[in-house]
Order: sequence, then C-alpha cells, then structure tokens
Amino acid sequence: MARLTRKVSIDPRNYLFTFEVDRRFPKPLPGQFVQVASSIELTLRRPFSVAGASRPGEVELLVELRGKGTRTLAARHEGSTVSLLGPMGNTFSEPSTGEVAVLVAGGIGVAGLRYLAHELAEEGKRLVILVGARTRDALLLGDLLPSATEDDRVRVAFSTDDGSAGHWGTVCELLESELDALGEDRIASPRLYCCGPPAMLREAAAIAAAREIPCEVLLEEIMACGTGACRGCVVMTKHGYRTVCSDGPVFDAAELVFEEAPNA
Amino acid sequence: MPDLRATLGRLRLCNPTVLASGTVGYGPEYASLIDYTTVGAIVTKTITPEPRAGNAPPRLKETPGGLLNAIGLENVGLERFLSEKLREVATVPAALIASVAGFTVNEYAELTGAVTAREEIDAVELNISCPNVERARRPVWDDPEAVAEITRAARATTEKTLLLKLSPNTADILSVAEAGEAAGADALVVANTLSGMRIDVEAGTPSLGNTTGGLSGRALLPVNLANVWKIAGSVSIPIVGSGGIADPGDALEYILAGASAVQIGTALFADPEAPGRIVDGLAEYMRAHDIESIEGCTGLARKEKEREWQRTTAD
Ligand SMILES: Cc1cc2nc3c(=O)[nH]c(=O)nc-3n(C[C@H](O)[C@H](O)[C@H](O)COP(=O)(O)OP(=O)(O)OC[C@H]3O[C@@H](n4cnc5c(N)ncnc54)[C@H](O)[C@@H]3O)c2cc1C
Ligand SMILES: Cc1cc2nc3c(=O)[nH]c(=O)nc-3n(C[C@H](O)[C@H](O)[C@H](O)COP(=O)(O)O)c2cc1C
Ligand code: FES
Repeated sequence: MARLTRKVSIDPRNYLFTFEVDRRFPKPLPGQFVQVASSIELTLRRPFSVAGASRPGEVELLVELRGKGTRTLAARHEGSTVSLLGPMGNTFSEPSTGEVAVLVAGGIGVAGLRYLAHELAEEGKRLVILVGARTRDALLLGDLLPSATEDDRVRVAFSTDDGSAGHWGTVCELLESELDALGEDRIASPRLYCCGPPAMLREAAAIAAAREIPCEVLLEEIMACGTGACRGCVVMTKHGYRTVCSDGPVFDAAELVFEEAPNA
Repeated sequence: MPDLRATLGRLRLCNPTVLASGTVGYGPEYASLIDYTTVGAIVTKTITPEPRAGNAPPRLKETPGGLLNAIGLENVGLERFLSEKLREVATVPAALIASVAGFTVNEYAELTGAVTAREEIDAVELNISCPNVERARRPVWDDPEAVAEITRAARATTEKTLLLKLSPNTADILSVAEAGEAAGADALVVANTLSGMRIDVEAGTPSLGNTTGGLSGRALLPVNLANVWKIAGSVSIPIVGSGGIADPGDALEYILAGASAVQIGTALFADPEAPGRIVDGLAEYMRAHDIESIEGCTGLARKEKEREWQRTTAD
C-alpha cells in the first residue's frame, strides 16, 4: 500500500502525484513502472512510469487523464491509500563517456523520461532535452524536466504543433536539427532516449537508424499481469513477440518491428 | 481449524483454490507477488506440441466487469516446456497441473503422456475450449463425441488426475460434460472464457488484434455458475468452478452450486493476494456455519433447493 501525499494539477489534463511507499519497496530505476489499482470496479491495474524517485520512500507519477482509471486516481484525496505494485520492468542503458544523452519526449511521454533526465542531470552528464506538444499550454509538462544550464551541459528545446511556443513543427524535426548541430561537435556522440506517441517513436527510430545512432524507446501497451505471465502486452521485435512489461518497457529501437502508419 | 482439503481424482489439494491456466504463466513469473503456499495448485499456461507465437496485438481489452483476451495460446511448445520450463515450474510450492491442447486426438494423447510422465507434474488439464484457435469444422468443445475421443485417448496414457476443461460457448454443455465423464475424466473444470469482442470506434477497428477473444472476470461469473449448477445435477465426478472468482463469496457460490474446488484467474491481475484472502474467507464461513470440512459445503445450495422442492410437493 502506498499513501498519496501530494497531488498537483499541472494543467487540467495532467497530474503529478507523490506517493509514500513502504520500506520494502525497492528503489526504482529510470524506465521502470508501477501497477496502480485505482478503482475496485476496474478489472486491471493501470501501469505508469516512475516519473521521479529521487527521495527515498517516495515515488512520483505523472499522469494524463484518459479514461476511468486515470480519472478515479485523480479524484483521490491527499492522504488516501492506493495499492501500488512494482517497480516492474527494465531500465535504460547508461550513456557512456563521450556520449550526449538526447531525450525526446512527445506529450505525456515526458513522464517516462523525467526520472532518467533528473538522474542524468544529477550525475553531471551532458543532456539534450527535446519536448514536443500540441500547444503552448500542453508544454507545461516540460517544466517538470531539468532546466537548461548556462554552460550548455543541459540543453532544452521545445516544439509545438501549432507554433504557439518553440519550434513550429514536430519534435522529430527538432531532433534532426539538434543532431546536425551535435554532428559538428566531433567529440560527442549522441544516444537517444524516446517516449511518446507511436508515430513519434517510429520516426525517431528511423532517424536514429539512418544516422546509426543508438536509440532506446519506452513503449506502452495495455497490461494485465505486469510480470510476463499472461503474454497480453506483446510487441513485435526482430526476434518475435516480446512483452512490454517484463522484456521492456525499454527496447532498443533497432530491435523493434514498427507497424506501418495507418495513414502513411 | 476447518478442513479445507479437496480431492480431484488421485490429486489431494491442501485447499480448494487453483490458479487458472494462462494467468500465471509457468509460475515463477508471478513468484514475487503471489504467495503460492496459500494455493492448492496452479495450472500452467496451455502447452501445445509446437511453440506458438500467439496472436497479433492488441491482445487485451478491458470491458465493464471483465476482460477480453486473445493471447492465441502463445507458449514454448512441449519440448522446451519439458527441457527448460519444467525446472522453473517445479520451484512453485503448490501442486502442479499441466494444461495441454493438441490439434488432433493423437496430439492430446502424446502431450498428456509426456507431461504426466514427469514426476514434477501432478495432474493434467485438457484445454479443449480455447476460443482463440481457429478450427475448420465444428469446434471441438461443442462436439461431445470429439471430446470423448480426446478424453479417452488422454486417459489411456496416464493414471494421474485428468481434468477436462469445458467451454461455455456451446448450447449443450451438459452433453459435453457427460461425454467427458464417461470417457474417463477425473474432474471437470467449468468453465473457460465466453467468446466476445469490442470495437474501437475512433480507429474503426475491432479492439483486439484477433477481432474476438475470451471474456473472463466478474462478468462471466453468473454464466459459469449456472453451468456448474446444471452439470452438478448430472455428473458424479468432482467439478472445479471457474469464472470471475475474486472474493470468498464468489468461490462459495460455486462450491454451494456443486463445485469441489475453484480456479482463480483474472482476479489475480488486480489483486495477487486474492487466493490467500479467499482461503481465509472460506475458513471463516465454515466456522460461522459450523461446517467441518469444505467437502461438506459442496452442493449445499442444491440440497436446500431439493428440500424446498420436497416441502412444496408434500403439501
Ligand atoms: C509501461 C507503461 C508506462 C506508462 N506510463 C504512463 C505515465 O507515466 N503517465 C501516463 O499518463 N500514462 C502512462 N501509461 C499509459 C497509461 O497506463 C494509460 O493511459 C492508462 O492505463 C489509461 O487508463 P484509463 O483507465 O484512464 O483509460 P482507459 O479507459 O483504460 O483507456 C483510455 C484510452 O487509453 C488507452 N490505453 C489504455 N491503457 C493503456 C496503456 N496501458 N497504454 C497505453 N494506452 C492505453 C486506451 O486504448 C484508450 O484509448 C503507461 C503505460 C505503460 C504500458
Ligand atoms: C490472459 C488470459 C490467458 C488465458 N490463457 C488460457 C490458456 O492458455 N488455457 C486455458 O485453458 N485457459 C486460459 N485462460 C482462461 C482462464 O484459465 C480461466 O478459465 C478464465 O479466465 C475464467 O476465469 P477467471 O474469470 O477467473 O479468469 C486465460 C485467461 C486469461 C485472462
Ligand atoms: S501484462 Fe502480462 S505479460 Fe505483460
């Protein structure tokens, strides 16, 4: 059981929750997720990435309201208890010396990369953070990530679909231009970490493949067990189906077989 | 302490809870969340002769009170099960039931013989009812003669407990149950998932990659409970109730309807501690009603019904 100690509404669609977990709860790794039982009326738990666990005994979740599970969670009062299983799943690869970590987040994909971003920033790693959103309002999520530093050790750039803030276009266009800029810097080689809608992940993976850059993506699938037992959450890889919950949720983009875009 | 032991053929269980096929994989996957010492037995994911990759995703769709799944019998196949998975399965501190499914009568016999030859395996469950495997003609689970043939062939290969798991996707489950009993099954599992589907209206496509899937969870309980009730009136081998059991009361309904044991599946996803909670609840009920053994609960509601019937006819 975990206790909801803080609930902050980032914007009407997105909430940042802080849970106090008991001592047996292992320290999560970036990329790992928890399974939340948000309502007894629901048959399945809902998986959410650990969006922060910097303080011991605390787990933060960044949640976009979608359906009943997320809405009932957002209706919980501070102080109430929620059953939270985990942490589950694998983690991201560490950037090696000389590598620049390039984080690409689309929309609520910020949730999957936030913990990683803070850990890397803490370790003093070189970091480029790219956040794409529909509008300026939706960009508020980006404020939950580490801010840019004056020495350029952490760089941050935004894009919006409607041009209301940052680059007018997709986050992948932003990624291309950041990679071009990094290419001129011969000492550093980029390593990509991506989380966001399927179309964005597919495009980022294609960019990484074309430039022969290592790229990891955090995937979402509907889950039941969360442990690899039920085989319900599979994705196609070059080695056959793999489960997002126990083989992932982080996958090497080069291993994935991306579906054709329905309207491409 | 009330006596919770249950007997299915030669198989003796410490309590009547069994974890349903396909919901706990081969066992170890869930070991960090489920306390297997609280359950009577677990059933493995259904094993087929060859490995199966399973259906295209999405494989799951939640629906009010239940879950649709179309996994498509993804499993490692008999060979890898025996050479690799069995070692892992054997670490589970509960009785082990291997679930098998073939595509011919012979395959059912071979699978049954092969898994029951291993001392780690205590019993076998014939899965004739997975709605996710396409078949050319009338589905096996709907054909009493085909089920009898499969059961007879499997029976000939083992002395260990042979469970036959029925499907609710038939107009005449009773004939299938009777055919299974006559062909030598030691117990009947009543029953598997009910065929169903949903459509994602935004995408304009079925929600499941396989279009249809099997409905499990609470929504299934009244259907399979009625099937247990129907079958318990006509067969004399033990029945294992399955479908939507999440609380002690759910398990008791099946037992009072005529089941000797119960299977828990979908409920584990929300609450991996459900089995322990159910066992405790059964014991509490027995104490409160002065019932010494769980066997004494089996079919109690039928006896009440019969007495009531006798009373009304005596008037
Ligand atoms: C590993 C992992 C990490 C995740 N991390 C986060 C996170 O940090 N923050 C966050 O807001 N969300 C995250 N998600 C997605 C989140 O689990 C779903 O948004 C949530 O389950 C929706 O529940 P609901 O009851 O509100 O919506 P539902 O009513 O169940 O569904 C509403 C819509 O969301 C889609 N959906 C449902 N479940 C999932 C799912 N598991 N994955 C993707 N789409 C789904 C449905 O297809 C439907 O279109 C993550 C998913 C996974 C698998
Ligand atoms: C994800 C999932 C996978 C399943 N796989 C199998 C299987 O391989 N073989 C089988 O006989 N039943 C399978 N079942 C059916 C269950 O064993 C059980 O009979 C059914 O779900 C009804 O019980 P429940 O409502 O308690 O889950 C599966 C069910 C689910 C939800
Ligand atoms: S959710 Fe069951 S295998 Fe991933």
